[in-house]
Amino acid sequence: MKPGNIYLDNCVSSKLAPEALEAMIPYFSEKFWYPGSFVSTGESANDSLAAFSSVIAASMGAMPEEIHFTSGGTLANNIAIKGLAASLKRGHVIVSVVDYPDLLTNAAWLEKQGFEVSYLGADKEARIDLNKLKAEIRPDTVLFMTTAVNHVVGTIQPLKEIHEILKSAANKIFFHVDAGQAYGKMPLNVNDFGIDTMSVSAHKIHGPQGIGALYVRKGTKLGQFIHGVKRVDGLQTGGLSIALIAGFAKAVELVFADLDASIRHLRELSDYLLEGLKKRIPYIALNGAPGLSRAPHNVNISIDYIEGEAITMMLDMHGITVATGSACASQGLKANYVLMAIGKNHVQSHGSMKFTLSRYTTKEDLDFTIDKLAEITEELRSRSPLYNALKKQEI
Amino acid sequence: MQYSQKVLDHFMHPHNVGKMENPDASATEGSPSCGDQVTVYLKVNKDDMTIEDISFLSYGCASNIATASIITDLAKGKSLEDAKKITWRDAMEALDGLPPVKVHCSVLAADTLQTAISNYEIANGLKEVPNFSKDTILDELKKIIYPQVGEDIVSLKMVKYVGFSDGEVLIDLNIMSFDTWRENVVEEIHEHLEKYPEVKNIQINFP
Repeated sequence: MKPGNIYLDNCVSSKLAPEALEAMIPYFSEKFWYPGSFVSTGESANDSLAAFSSVIAASMGAMPEEIHFTSGGTLANNIAIKGLAASLKRGHVIVSVVDYPDLLTNAAWLEKQGFEVSYLGADKEARIDLNKLKAEIRPDTVLFMTTAVNHVVGTIQPLKEIHEILKSAANKIFFHVDAGQAYGKMPLNVNDFGIDTMSVSAHKIHGPQGIGALYVRKGTKLGQFIHGVKRVDGLQTGGLSIALIAGFAKAVELVFADLDASIRHLRELSDYLLEGLKKRIPYIALNGAPGLSRAPHNVNISIDYIEGEAITMMLDMHGITVATGSACASQGLKANYVLMAIGKNHVQSHGSMKFTLSRYTTKEDLDFTIDKLAEITEELRSRSPLYNALKKQEI
Repeated sequence: MQYSQKVLDHFMHPHNVGKMENPDASATEGSPSCGDQVTVYLKVNKDDMTIEDISFLSYGCASNIATASIITDLAKGKSLEDAKKITWRDAMEALDGLPPVKVHCSVLAADTLQTAISNYEIANGLKEVPNFSKDTILDELKKIIYPQVGEDIVSLKMVKYVGFSDGEVLIDLNIMSFDTWRENVVEEIHEHLEKYPEVKNIQINFP
């Protein structure tokens, strides 16, 4: 079986769209120029960049000058958070325990810089508790950060309600959003949600790896984080690949040409997968929010009585790539922190499987996956002392 | 991280897997919360005291299942005395090695085999229920693997001192605060020792 034949781990990286590849090729060859002034090659690069920035900006209701290209989502998050920290100097920051590691590791760094950080809990569907958010806000609160779509269970955070709360505070609270999983999966207008800074990444939406962008609301002061020559962008100084930016812009065009249709297609697929799994496999449960409260590409389930690394490896033997929250498959040998934070137990975390779908996923892929997973579950359960004990009780 | 072909073979097609009806002895070790649990069943030939039949059940990852499979292969047909000498190192060797971070998964199956044998001996009056002592603690610590290198913390001289009195376990552990595996090791120490009713409290000191 060819590795990655059926790839259902699209939240990590997704297949490059052929159109995006094609859009990049001229910039890897004859149009290799960098931006510059008074020379036609440099001006041509300026024009291309301006056009690409406009595409990204339009996708989120921003202005082109508010878009800053970076090497990816993580750098975008770092430039925003560390940049805000440098200009704010001190204060109180709020983040949630279910946020993406980019935000949590930066929060820990902020604490070392003298900021005070409050870590909000989440409900059993990984949604931020808005009352707790209100209660945590203090006169010196300067920053709230959130992951718009949870990277593990796909829950969409109530951005509108969060915005209302932040807006009603007496002091200005900057609103930073990690939209890695949300971009292209839900309408994300920075003005609707009062977002000050937001990170997005190209390769989650069939663009190339190694390119992302940071939205920075006009007038927001970010301390300089990377110093050097300004070639493409003033915030991430130094070189950036125009070709990757071209591929990014094309990927955005493809998704946002009809965002509603893109979302509908993904939701239809994920509903189909979840229904199929529920029908075929007993003792499974959905993790995170059901229905429209979750991102359309994410299905996260716990399969009771068996362990996720074993399931993942057996699926891999059939050419199916998925992710698990099992401690045994994690680098730090820890159960998934999001699942544990939303009240799942160790067994539910160890047996959790995350399927993230893409535009290129087909119903045939999902049928094959459901078939194989049903077989694997039966096989592993027959080996499991936990399942055997359950069967004994039932007799 | 790569598993050897042997690990994959035993994981995909484990030997001696399944529940045994009317075993002469059995043991279950590990717990679902630690992510793995193994049950080993034994049938013993009373004439020559050999392991006539053996099987296992496993809730765990690929290396857990593969180790349980190989350990039953290693024990089958052996005398109880010889089977008592089987360790996780033998299992690992027979599997052509394991990635360091996975070595800890191999300990449980070997451990469960030893408990099953011990349960058989106790049930048949071949030995007394062992007294809990400092040696019991040390034996348990030898089963705790430091994930970065795949060796146990006693062999790695990470355990500087072990004390036990009035239910109080005292351990001096030479692992620095910045070590990313320290928390895992501490959790494992608790899991290994808290199953003994004699242990009331565990205090671990660091440099």
